Amino acid sequence: MLMSSWLKFSSVVLLYSAGCLILWGIPEAKAANTVAFNRDIRPILSDNCFACHGFDSKKRKAGLRLDLAEGAFATNKEGVVAIKAGKPEQSELWKRLLSTDKDEQMPPPESHKKLEPAQKELIRRWIAEGAPYQKHWAFEPISQPVVPTVAGPKAAVQNPVDRFIRARLKLEGLKSSPEADRATLIRRVSFDLTGLPPTPAELDQFQSDKAPDAYERMVQRYMDSPRYGEHMAKYWLDVARYADTHGMHLDNERQMWAYRDWVVSAYNTNLPFSDFTKYQLAGDLLPNPTPEQLIATGFNRCNVTTGEGGAIDAEFIFRYAVERTATTVQAWMGLTAGCAVCHDHKFDPISHREFYSLYAFFHSSADPAMDGNTLRTAPMLQLKTPENEKRLAEFDKEIAATEAAFTSALSSVVYSDPASLNPPPMPRDEEVVWVEDAPPTGWKTTGTPNFAPAEGGKVFSGKSALRRQGAGVIQDVFETDTPSLVIPQNGKLFAYLFLDPANPPAAVMLQFNTDSWEHRAVWGDAEAIQWGEKDKPSRFVQGGLPKTGEWVRLELDIAQVGLKPGDKLKGLAYTQHGGTVFWDKAGVAGRVDPANDPMNSFTVWTKQYDGKEPQEVPENLRKIFKDTASTNRSPDQITLLRTHFLTKVCLSTKPVFDPLNGALAEIKKKRNEYYEAVPQTFIWRDLETPRESFVMKRGAYDKPGEKVTRNVPAIFPPLANTNNPTRLDLAEWLLSPENPLTARVTVNRFWQQFFGTGLVKTADDFGSQGQPPSHPELLDWLASTFRDSGWNMKTLVKLLVNSSTYRQDSRIAPLLLARDPENRLYARGPRFRLDAEEIRDNALFVGGLMDMSMGGRGFRTYQPPNIWEPVAYTGSNTREYKQDTGGALYRRSVYAFFKRTAPPPFMTTFDAPNREQFCTRRERSNTPLQALQLMNDVQHFEAARALAGRMISEGGSTAKERLLFAYKAVLSRAPSSRELSILTSTLDQHLTRYAADPEAAKESIAFGDSKPPEKANPGELAAYTLMANLILNLDETVNRN
Amino acid sequence: MDPILQHQLQLTRRQFFGNTGLRLGGLALAMMSAKFPGGSALGAVQKQRVHPPLPGFPHFAPKAKNLIYLHMNGGPSQLDLWDYKPGLEAHFDKDLPASVRMGQRITTMTSGQGRLPVAPSMFKFSQAGKSGRWVSELLKHHAEVVDEIALVKTVHTNAINHDPACTFVMTGSEIPGKASLGSWLSYGLGSENNDLPSFVVLTPSWSAKAAAQALFTRMWNSGFLPTKHTGVALRSGGDPVLYLKNPPGVSPSDRRAMLDSLNKLNHLEYQRVGDPEIQTRISQYEMAFRMQSSVPDLVDLKSESKATIEMYGSDVTKPGTYAASALLARRMVERGVRCVQILHRGWDQHGDLPKEIRAQCMDVDQATAALIKDLKQRGLLDQTLVVWGGEFGRTVYSQGKLTHEDYGRDHHPLNFCMWMAGGGIKGGISYGETDDFSYNVVENPVHINDLNATILQCLGIDHSRFTFKSQGLDQRLTGVEQANVVKALLA
Repeated sequence: MLMSSWLKFSSVVLLYSAGCLILWGIPEAKAANTVAFNRDIRPILSDNCFACHGFDSKKRKAGLRLDLAEGAFATNKEGVVAIKAGKPEQSELWKRLLSTDKDEQMPPPESHKKLEPAQKELIRRWIAEGAPYQKHWAFEPISQPVVPTVAGPKAAVQNPVDRFIRARLKLEGLKSSPEADRATLIRRVSFDLTGLPPTPAELDQFQSDKAPDAYERMVQRYMDSPRYGEHMAKYWLDVARYADTHGMHLDNERQMWAYRDWVVSAYNTNLPFSDFTKYQLAGDLLPNPTPEQLIATGFNRCNVTTGEGGAIDAEFIFRYAVERTATTVQAWMGLTAGCAVCHDHKFDPISHREFYSLYAFFHSSADPAMDGNTLRTAPMLQLKTPENEKRLAEFDKEIAATEAAFTSALSSVVYSDPASLNPPPMPRDEEVVWVEDAPPTGWKTTGTPNFAPAEGGKVFSGKSALRRQGAGVIQDVFETDTPSLVIPQNGKLFAYLFLDPANPPAAVMLQFNTDSWEHRAVWGDAEAIQWGEKDKPSRFVQGGLPKTGEWVRLELDIAQVGLKPGDKLKGLAYTQHGGTVFWDKAGVAGRVDPANDPMNSFTVWTKQYDGKEPQEVPENLRKIFKDTASTNRSPDQITLLRTHFLTKVCLSTKPVFDPLNGALAEIKKKRNEYYEAVPQTFIWRDLETPRESFVMKRGAYDKPGEKVTRNVPAIFPPLANTNNPTRLDLAEWLLSPENPLTARVTVNRFWQQFFGTGLVKTADDFGSQGQPPSHPELLDWLASTFRDSGWNMKTLVKLLVNSSTYRQDSRIAPLLLARDPENRLYARGPRFRLDAEEIRDNALFVGGLMDMSMGGRGFRTYQPPNIWEPVAYTGSNTREYKQDTGGALYRRSVYAFFKRTAPPPFMTTFDAPNREQFCTRRERSNTPLQALQLMNDVQHFEAARALAGRMISEGGSTAKERLLFAYKAVLSRAPSSRELSILTSTLDQHLTRYAADPEAAKESIAFGDSKPPEKANPGELAAYTLMANLILNLDETVNRN
Repeated sequence: MDPILQHQLQLTRRQFFGNTGLRLGGLALAMMSAKFPGGSALGAVQKQRVHPPLPGFPHFAPKAKNLIYLHMNGGPSQLDLWDYKPGLEAHFDKDLPASVRMGQRITTMTSGQGRLPVAPSMFKFSQAGKSGRWVSELLKHHAEVVDEIALVKTVHTNAINHDPACTFVMTGSEIPGKASLGSWLSYGLGSENNDLPSFVVLTPSWSAKAAAQALFTRMWNSGFLPTKHTGVALRSGGDPVLYLKNPPGVSPSDRRAMLDSLNKLNHLEYQRVGDPEIQTRISQYEMAFRMQSSVPDLVDLKSESKATIEMYGSDVTKPGTYAASALLARRMVERGVRCVQILHRGWDQHGDLPKEIRAQCMDVDQATAALIKDLKQRGLLDQTLVVWGGEFGRTVYSQGKLTHEDYGRDHHPLNFCMWMAGGGIKGGISYGETDDFSYNVVENPVHINDLNATILQCLGIDHSRFTFKSQGLDQRLTGVEQANVVKALLA
């Protein structure tokens, strides 16, 4: 850009001082007899003067304002006038420009700004001509220019686009180029509309189609393909800064690919741009919003967020709102509002206060300051399919059935409280089983314990035993956060096990957790399992290894492992060192006095909790215990307590309810797992009570100033509804016919996409620091036509692609290159390098590897090691890259998983943005790293091998036929005889080389996950693979011509 | 004939016979196109620079040609390394006086803590060098080169959390999307080496606990500058530069043969289409081919003497360590790479600070001092600027448990220590003073933007004139506000 601003000056110099019409950078109109403020003067003033004499009231020097006529023409206190219309010599501005006095001259020396002589001359002429001011062009209403009439055959003038372009070319004395040949055309259209090359069949069809509308129908075919939306979406996803991770600090995965898929489908279904806008900015405010309308609101949830410990909430709430405001303003209005975060905009009429009035629209988002580093940061929308709904209903039915069984069991269960019996029952010895065929109800396990049924192994009691086999210290752990199992008086802990005589462990250990895990007993080699301290309760040595080949009861006193009666059990673990062990039935045996035991007597159980808040019971029961004295409890409350007691606590009713508890927990767990697996997506919702918004002094999150309400900057037409306007009002305002920017900015982005450069080159800046349009009338004509068509995107695309301007040959004659190096006059067709996605997709497509499945979570293609790992936070869930396998490796690039802090190299090497912020225009660089990647990256080399396989199997039997096949598949043309001779001799060289080194051939064709054809001759395939690699590396291959 | 041998013969012949019409035409066109990207056609006569400087750069005669930036990621504790505060012992476990804190913001990790007890450093400091600089016992090798170093005790930053602070220290903005320091240098000054990238980044292993703060590729991204100025990560595992190695079964000769045809075919296309970008692509493929030998040569340490290896310490032979990275940095500036950045993670000591910082210093102390000595003995220190520092400092008060031997420290953006050495820098000085608690600057604050302005100054660039127009603004590394070169640091 430094270069281009230099060129801009040069153009002025050449245009006016030399009086000739050589064009550099932005072409200036030839008929520039009078000076036009917007075209000629504003850029000079904006670059050199507005920083101190512009819109920013705080930075304004000497009270002088040059961006408005009123300011420039006003006489100040000393009687000095900056600009006296018609009289340069009486204008202070002109005198200061000429001054050589360091204190007087403008711009001042310390600004490092300087006007060229030609620029000064322009200023002088402008003042002499009366110094007419214009509003900045982009803020003037969109005009409906008359389409110029130009003579010429239909082929040269397909539609009004061409009339504007040709009229200008005529003025410049230039001629347009002829239409490109059909092969070039179809390749250009196919890439531009689908991001993929045409198939040889499509090429043949188009070349043999003699109908006059063959081209238009070819365009329509590509536009109707689902590939169209996939390709178009990527441009908008850059604008929307869509990615699959949060973007800051941990940069964990976030789930919002439904938004990406929505963008794809919006283009495929040709959603009008008006709805496209409304859904994304305010879909949640539409009446009864559909899921699609809500998914679309993800647009402003795509911004980077943080979950960094220590971060200050207020700072990030502020930042997110600023970012969302700036992105929205850039995307729809093409203005760099971000400047006004800290101060009045220096160049454009957006005041500091006005920025915060826009910010107020976005300041009340319901998402939190800290994203929690989770996959799903609320507000989320669950994406239930009918199939999901059906399955969930089935789960609910199963749950209801189990609950019914529960209720009926409850009504028939027989229980009498031992405490109420007279005389009370005698104390007795009793075994309480904790683990039988499953972990205790509601407990968590590590991994999935292998409860093997009787048919598959040894079982001591019940239906199954837990089998564990392995090396080193291995174990099954059962835990709970809400302990209810109680250690009894004189308790003896026990468990049964069976040691496989063929593979005994070195030691077995039982571990218990009440306050901590420091309660262990070991049998066998006391050093084999090192936890705790030997001969202490933390590793009590209970004896040698039990006898193998038979069921043995392990037993120990609670005191030996430091447990006391009344302790509540939080965890139990079966641990072993190596070997094969079957574990079965564990629990505690002890002296139980039913009338005084909380697990037998309802009265005793409730009494222990009176006035307390026991964590082990559900919330509603806890409240009863705490708030209601036992004497005051209602029958309903007592029933609640009693039900819980009988179904979850009581030992005598345990045999009835344990299986039911287990079944219910199981089905609920399954339902929950299923429910959680249903994808969700980030959506926008406002807080119930909107936040108050303030002008933030100097853009500091903790320095609120004056309070503001939602509004739009005064330079623009007002909102239709100014009474507490919403985001929907803002969206409607962007789409109103009076809005000067939305349509212009949008058509310009489309133009840029198809012609390489926008009519306004600075597609992200339509302000006074941006460049003026090269064809202002065409821009306005397109903008008004697009708007009046009902914002029909496909119609607009067709208008551009069907124009003869687009269809021109792209060959660059040296003179034309010198005259218009950037092709801003469109005297030739557009030629530019393919984007990152297209380059990868093309290789997979011509190799026949591509998997066309659409949508869903981002897939993970080939990626060299050490892209994520060396940078990622250690605890990040996007630290270790796990490459997909099979078809997923070959899906279209638009669906590739995108980690923002370490994006995929196949994207960034070819200039894809890192999606940390809005991007409306990708660069097209040309670097050695690109060459290395195209030559050596496994996905490109594998695609070359696949193409080579096709050359051999489908191309024919001779080298020539096979090379022709590859050229047609990749370049949609046949090689010239000169090219063919280069190719053939290279092929011969490779064939000889691999015939002499079959091992090298085998290695080369084995690169990549997919397998080479079994019948292939390795030497031949390897040689053709290098040829395909060569063809895929051609400059012509990575360009669309 | 062997394709590589043939290629070399051709190159020689071209140089002998001078330029061809093709290349002259291509070059002229490329220059006229205003998009002249630097590479010329293959093997041009005059030495064409692959990474040329911008016209008018450097702005004035530079003191340093290259930059080695040693970034200690996570925020090293200035109190335990450089900012000696002997008086703190008397305040052990006493609350940080309110008059010192002055209500300034602290992170939410300690804002909920009942009190903010002062934790004096447990490490001994002693004076070193002619300058008598106080240096912690953790940096005993640094003590040997302290007279080369200009220590800045009063660097301060805007951000209090890692992500924004890292982004700020490297790009001059807390918001992602701006260009990094190394990218700015590559853009403005280009690089002298035609076979290596102009800006190279290393991310070595570290020894504190595994759970270290993250890095972000935006710390070496080109942001709004052309993408070719993005730092190239030199990797310790796999290919040193991505996709450098030919696929299995493909030899350098095979590659040469393929490239020879590729160039011919691309040239035919250029004749047909006339797009100067095609010429650029031809030259970029040639550079890629040269990198396939120049990069392995760069990372092969076999030619280093035993004395050198010993100077950097035993870690230097382990690929991916900080010591190995430091030696590679020297090898790169020797070869004319403009900017080398080493980002060493693991300096975020919220707890268990004494143990962890000791491990971190073991990683970097000897190798950093060796780098300075090594540059000096080769006469490279005069033309190389070395910068050391993190994204912020750490608090005088303890986070979590405090004993004389165990404490942690939270993030502290108000003042921290960085140092500079080499080309353009006055060695043996200390700049700026902090209060008795190393909590506030009392004298000569140096904002990150000032520091970056000073770095650019050493490299011959006037930061205020070094701009790039993006999003309607003249973007600067040193931001919108006035930044000042710290003249006192300059030799």
